[in-house]
Amino acid sequence: MQIRNFSIIAHIDHGKSTLADRLLQATNAVSEREAQAQFLDSMDIERERGITIKASAVTVFHQIGGEKFMLNFIDTPGHVDFTYEVSRALTACEGALLVVDATQGVQAQTVANAYLAVNQNLELIPVINKIDLPSARPDEVAMEIEQVIGLPAEDCILVSAKTGQGIPELLERICTRLPGPRTSTMDFTRGLIFDAVYDDYRGVIVYLRMFDGTLKVGDKVRMMGAQRSFVVTELGKYTPKPVKAQSLSEGETGYLVANIKTLADVRIGDTVTQEYTPAPEPLPGYQEPKQMVFCDFYPAIEGDDEDGSPGQRKAASDFEELRDAITKLSLNDASFTFQTVHSEALGFGFRCGFLGLLHMDIIQERLEREGGVKIIQTAPTVTYQVKMHDGEEREIHNPADLPDPGTFDEIREPIVKIDIMLPERCIGDVMKLCQERRAEFKAQQFISEGRQMLKYEIPLAEIIYDFYDKLKSLTSGYGTMDYDVTGFHADDLVKLDILVNGTPVEALSIIVHRDKATVRGRLLCQKLREQIPRHQFEIPIQAAIGSKVIARETIKSVRKDVTAKCYGGDVSRKRKLLEKQKEGKKRMKSVGQVNIPQEAFMAVLEQGE
Amino acid sequence: MLPQALPTLPPADVRGTEVGDARRLREALAGAHGPVRSLYVHVPFCFHKCHYCDFYSFVDTQDRQGVFVDRLLEELRRSAACAGGAARPRLETVFVGGGTPSLLAVDQWRRVLDGLHRMFDVARAGEGGEFTVECNPETVTAELMGVLAAGGVTRVSVGAQSFNAAHLKTLERWHDPANVERALGLAADAGIARRSLDLIYATPGQTLEEWRADLERALGLAPGVEHLSAYALTYEPNTAMTARLERGDFARADEDLEVDMYDLLVARLRDAGMERYEVSNFARPGAECRHNLAYWRQESWLAAGPSASGHLGVGEAGGWRWKNVPRLTDWMEGVASSGGWSPAQDVEPPQAGRARAERIMTGLRLREGIDAGLLDATAARREVERGWMVVEEGRARLTDAGFHFADGVARRLMGSR
Repeated sequence: MQIRNFSIIAHIDHGKSTLADRLLQATNAVSEREAQAQFLDSMDIERERGITIKASAVTVFHQIGGEKFMLNFIDTPGHVDFTYEVSRALTACEGALLVVDATQGVQAQTVANAYLAVNQNLELIPVINKIDLPSARPDEVAMEIEQVIGLPAEDCILVSAKTGQGIPELLERICTRLPGPRTSTMDFTRGLIFDAVYDDYRGVIVYLRMFDGTLKVGDKVRMMGAQRSFVVTELGKYTPKPVKAQSLSEGETGYLVANIKTLADVRIGDTVTQEYTPAPEPLPGYQEPKQMVFCDFYPAIEGDDEDGSPGQRKAASDFEELRDAITKLSLNDASFTFQTVHSEALGFGFRCGFLGLLHMDIIQERLEREGGVKIIQTAPTVTYQVKMHDGEEREIHNPADLPDPGTFDEIREPIVKIDIMLPERCIGDVMKLCQERRAEFKAQQFISEGRQMLKYEIPLAEIIYDFYDKLKSLTSGYGTMDYDVTGFHADDLVKLDILVNGTPVEALSIIVHRDKATVRGRLLCQKLREQIPRHQFEIPIQAAIGSKVIARETIKSVRKDVTAKCYGGDVSRKRKLLEKQKEGKKRMKSVGQVNIPQEAFMAVLEQGE
Repeated sequence: MLPQALPTLPPADVRGTEVGDARRLREALAGAHGPVRSLYVHVPFCFHKCHYCDFYSFVDTQDRQGVFVDRLLEELRRSAACAGGAARPRLETVFVGGGTPSLLAVDQWRRVLDGLHRMFDVARAGEGGEFTVECNPETVTAELMGVLAAGGVTRVSVGAQSFNAAHLKTLERWHDPANVERALGLAADAGIARRSLDLIYATPGQTLEEWRADLERALGLAPGVEHLSAYALTYEPNTAMTARLERGDFARADEDLEVDMYDLLVARLRDAGMERYEVSNFARPGAECRHNLAYWRQESWLAAGPSASGHLGVGEAGGWRWKNVPRLTDWMEGVASSGGWSPAQDVEPPQAGRARAERIMTGLRLREGIDAGLLDATAARREVERGWMVVEEGRARLTDAGFHFADGVARRLMGSR
């Protein structure tokens, strides 16, 4: 039996999941009814049933001209933050279907994923999906694919995952065009881990692709990068229902269970080998996950009462709740990091590192939804490299940690190369946006009639705020982008501190380019003036570089706290109102007598017009 | 005279309250209690619902006025039986509010006034009595003023709100500002000597100068007024004004401007010889509204008409508070089916802690302040140190600065102890 390992890669919403389901159905792996629920993307079902049925790899069988094929679909994470994971998943394949929406054409992620696949020497099959839609323009899209990715337009397969049109042709192409697994060149056992999920009952389920040798139930195996060993208790494949197997051999794809307690023991891209006869070298390409975006999570507590501070008393227990929630979530997601921090202003919390912005949003949402905690999140920041006078190299994940000016030679910030796919008519606006964000123009490329691609190099710090939202609004939603960190670059960066009522609030500090410090400082002070409610006293808000104040605003003191009317009939109502006001709760942090609402911490994100 | 057996409570009586509480309220009203010297009567009719108003009222169709008065008289008869031992218990203050009481037809007014005097001994002006009727400037006629004066009404309160046509329109008040002067003149001609004006400020778009002009116009009226109530526009929940604010039709007045307007109000009226005796009420010496003072001093008052609120003090433990059911038909049905008992809801039995909180809350709003003995000494000292309160001869009173923060001071003092 021949084996075909392949992935489906696509821009978000171009129909990857629907196509996967349709392929499963066409190979009779799932019934019509089961196909209702998208199998490779079934988080909802997972939640409902409380068990892990999400399959990162599904094995089905298909026959072409009397010959039987084992087809292994390998799912890839759908977002730019997970480029490394995507590249590992692609390593496990020999081919990939590049799916493009017939109405939307080639998008930024299509290109990024296609390049990843080309770099892995994968055979690509271009697929144009959604041809049943009235606005489909398959011929133009085929030309875009040829133009941008270099795959011949006539090679494109036209399908509708929704109606099933073109699916038999696609299956045939998969079997006949994609290469089989390469033959092993060594006697040792090597399997590549391309995904792992945590299951409450069985621990970690590892998805792997065998490249060399065979794994059997009962084998003692070793994770070469993580340096951990486990005894295999279960092997199998998803078809898409789990089917146990006694062994997995070279060329095959499947799952492994080995009583692994935490995802931290399993690293995507790591190599599994035999403990007693280990391979001399792991499979190439393994990297430690690299967190690029950092922010603090603090437990949100009530603002201080005018008189006392009941909020502060609750803080300790809230911190423990947050710690529990974060620890629990880390079992499920080993790619974010966390460590305890203490801020003068905000008390105890966690500084967390994420693969990217979306990853940060996902984690925050899951902590609140699944962990039941309320979080004050500080503005995200990137990693900075600082070269000290004495030659020491430091890595800074928090603007507050930046050493005093005059003690270091230079600060370097991460630079990304960014591809922006956009309608031609928006080019002027988007170029202006890029210039404002210190971007360096690299290239402009024709995609198709009316559509272009812009290539820039830009500091990551400039795009982690509101760049994507701005791009979407400038292009009426048509612009897409993809980015990749290329390195670090020194620039004239300074730390901008914010003082509220004379107290520096580290969580509001930012690192900015010196030329933009005054404008950012002024905007930030104005924003905070709007966000922080009036208090019984006047509150100065200052932006400072070192000891030099560069912007200042004042929040006037509250001038009235009295309701005009109190009639006979109002007495009960008014009394209840006053009692309610006393208990009034809002997500605030108290800093030097000033209650600062959550929104204020995010004010840092807005860069103005 | 006093009922021996209490009637069964119909379901309409018990909305928002425990059956037991409603029954105990009736027992309390029928039983022994301190003197009740005040009566509030609510007339729910209006010819237009003003957008800021959260009082119970609806647009009048005239056809229900007669049956409304029938029920009102039944309720008053039962109230009189509860007010005190006498056949015709003495009332020192009566206040008829709404709604728009002046919208009640003259014939109906005659019936109300006749009935009132038959059932109560309403003190006359010469005896220190105060009988106020709220009037809408548009609906005042010479005939009505004559009937009211003859019926013992000593005081009118005219809802002027503003003299600026644009701001009246924002408030959805449709009267001609000139009618305020006309209404006051008709009242004076009829011999109603005590006249008060209601004003509203901090309406959307209003400037300080416009507010100053309103104040000057009010002070320059002839015949003049002895009393002024001036309220900053309050966005009450479930009013058209609040809905329009939330919809973004206009912006709430800036806090600084509102405070400036209030400061101007206090200073200008003080100049004109009208002192602030409550947060939003100003009067020439001796011209304070005694009925409203009864509310703020936690005295007892009876309540008649839909949505009217009452209070029955029973000594140190405080008093009963209740509210009549608000819907006209529910109220009429409740009164008719129970032999004149007020269909009460939101009944709150006496409770010492609540009574203290209420005393602090309403008393601090008065110039006369409250008995300092009610307050926790430490909490009181903190307010004094803030400069918002003074304690002199056993009374705690807000300072001029403190009047701006009456709610905050009350919140803190109510909570302590």
